[in-house]
Amino acid sequence: MVGYFVSVTIFTALYALFSLGLNLQWGLTGLINFGHVAFMTIGAYVTVLLNIQGVPVIVAVAIGTVVAATLGLIIGTSTLRLREDYLAIVTIGVAELLRLIANNEQWPSPDGPIEGSFGLKDYLIPLADWDPNLWQKLIAIALLTIIAVFAMWQLWRGLKSQWKENQQIQDKSYRPRKPISLIIWGAIGTTLIVAIYINGTLALYDYYYRAGLMVLVLLVLALVYWGLEILVRSPWGRIIKAIREDEEIPRVLGKNVFWYKLQAFMLGGAIAGIAGAFYAWYLTTVYPSNFESIVTFYAWTIIILGGAGSNAGTLVGALIFSAYNEITRNLFVGGASLDALRIMIMGLIVMILMIWRPQGILGKKEELTLGK
Amino acid sequence: MTQNQQQNLLLSASGLHKRFGGITAVNNAQIDLHRGSITGLIGPNGAGKTTLFNLLSNFITPDRGEVIFDGKAINQLQSHHIAQKGMVRTFQVARVLSRLSVLENMLLAPQKQTGENFFQVWLGRKQIRKEEVENKEKAMLILESVGLAAKARDYAGALSGGQRKLLEMARVLMADPKLILLDEPAAGVNPTLIGQICEHITNWNKQGISFLIIEHNMDVIMSLCDRVWVLAEGSNLANGTPEEIQNNPEVLEAYLGVD
Repeated sequence: MVGYFVSVTIFTALYALFSLGLNLQWGLTGLINFGHVAFMTIGAYVTVLLNIQGVPVIVAVAIGTVVAATLGLIIGTSTLRLREDYLAIVTIGVAELLRLIANNEQWPSPDGPIEGSFGLKDYLIPLADWDPNLWQKLIAIALLTIIAVFAMWQLWRGLKSQWKENQQIQDKSYRPRKPISLIIWGAIGTTLIVAIYINGTLALYDYYYRAGLMVLVLLVLALVYWGLEILVRSPWGRIIKAIREDEEIPRVLGKNVFWYKLQAFMLGGAIAGIAGAFYAWYLTTVYPSNFESIVTFYAWTIIILGGAGSNAGTLVGALIFSAYNEITRNLFVGGASLDALRIMIMGLIVMILMIWRPQGILGKKEELTLGK
Repeated sequence: MTQNQQQNLLLSASGLHKRFGGITAVNNAQIDLHRGSITGLIGPNGAGKTTLFNLLSNFITPDRGEVIFDGKAINQLQSHHIAQKGMVRTFQVARVLSRLSVLENMLLAPQKQTGENFFQVWLGRKQIRKEEVENKEKAMLILESVGLAAKARDYAGALSGGQRKLLEMARVLMADPKLILLDEPAAGVNPTLIGQICEHITNWNKQGISFLIIEHNMDVIMSLCDRVWVLAEGSNLANGTPEEIQNNPEVLEAYLGVD
């Protein structure tokens, strides 16, 4: 059971990471990216292929991330000057193109060249063969504790700022979140953090082969989340949000709109590239079919569920997505047709959400009613 | 033109030309603007006034012509570079960043903020915090002067049409410009607010900012402007002091109407 929850935690965290990249691009900068999985494909394949060639795993991930950002640079320079729908078309095309290349190319493997469709395997998964002694286990648990404390701190900070906003309702055209909903959110958040922490501690103590990977992905997720939160609150973040609202305004105020769009696009791509490496480690064997366009739309679902433009909302969305995924996986034990039904129901849930709560779970309703 | 006069010119555009397919929107237009002046630009609808604004700020690239701002040719620069040099424009229909607060709208404008650089966001956090505090103080002062201080923390999208005009002008001011191009500041605004807007323009002009104003409200043009340029069918029709323009028979026929 502990092992199962470790796997679910890794899955959730890597999807959260992947979606944070898209949230930066779409939720904050307004760039419509329908091929986000392309960055993940690049991140996964570059990391794995380099690793098979004997490149150390850390270097391989770093190169994978840089290549993913470079893909963003190439797509961005060619399309970001055009109207936004062109970006949507080009990105979805690039994602399919990369998947088809991955499928049809012959890739090197320890047993000689192998057809792409047979998948890549026998690459190193970080910390899978680790056999920690007591001290190392304690250090790993300490690291997990730091991550948990960081998560609690972020939760507390978010709730506090909402609370403060609620106190100063005068001269505002909207009513911020009510205190009771803040308490509920605090309770849910705390429970989740504590549950993941306890499960993670158990897995580390009685070392489960994926526990190390779990700590790594949580660490990266925490760092990326923190970095994005700093960015969003900085003048840099103000410019990209301004671009989302109306790009002519930052332009007349002397901001290089194209350059900022490109930065956001590349950074989002790099984050998805790291997520790709974790995806490969999570899967242990990567097939081109793991990188179909549906993965992009999982990320869109996550962002829409959580509330576009909110990093915290993206985390909530990833949790719900993952929970749905696991629950239905165990409920609908059956053939491929039932598998399709799961995705249909998810589509239905998104549609209902768009009608009932179009702003997403953590989004602000009043933002939808504002005139342009 | 003597050397002295040349130096006194803040903006000088000549030979500006722009065709859209078979339509010549701006035809060999010229405009000069002195430092510290308020200059008006009038003309019938479709005369090419807004297109001329777009050409000056390089939102649309002219087919030919030259624009000299503050002693330097700027027609090769991208529009954001022109804004950085101190020539900032507004739009005919006021545009605000709806889902950002009024204060955030203001804070977007200052030039050369340390925190606009991706790497400085991490390296220069102290400097950024200092600049933010200074910019916030300045923004609140300007918001107070235009009467929007109480709205600072509300969404800009919740403002009324007139308040949006004020916010747009206040925001331009935050960019510390030398020249502000105003596209119809008094359009769709009630008479009291027009009076206020005129007062603000006069005040800011006294602080050393020059203005180029497109406006159909003749009272505004006549009371504010030192000099008026008239555009008709994309070409210059006349220029002179407000009195000269009011008595110019060609202008009367083309625009103001003959009694």
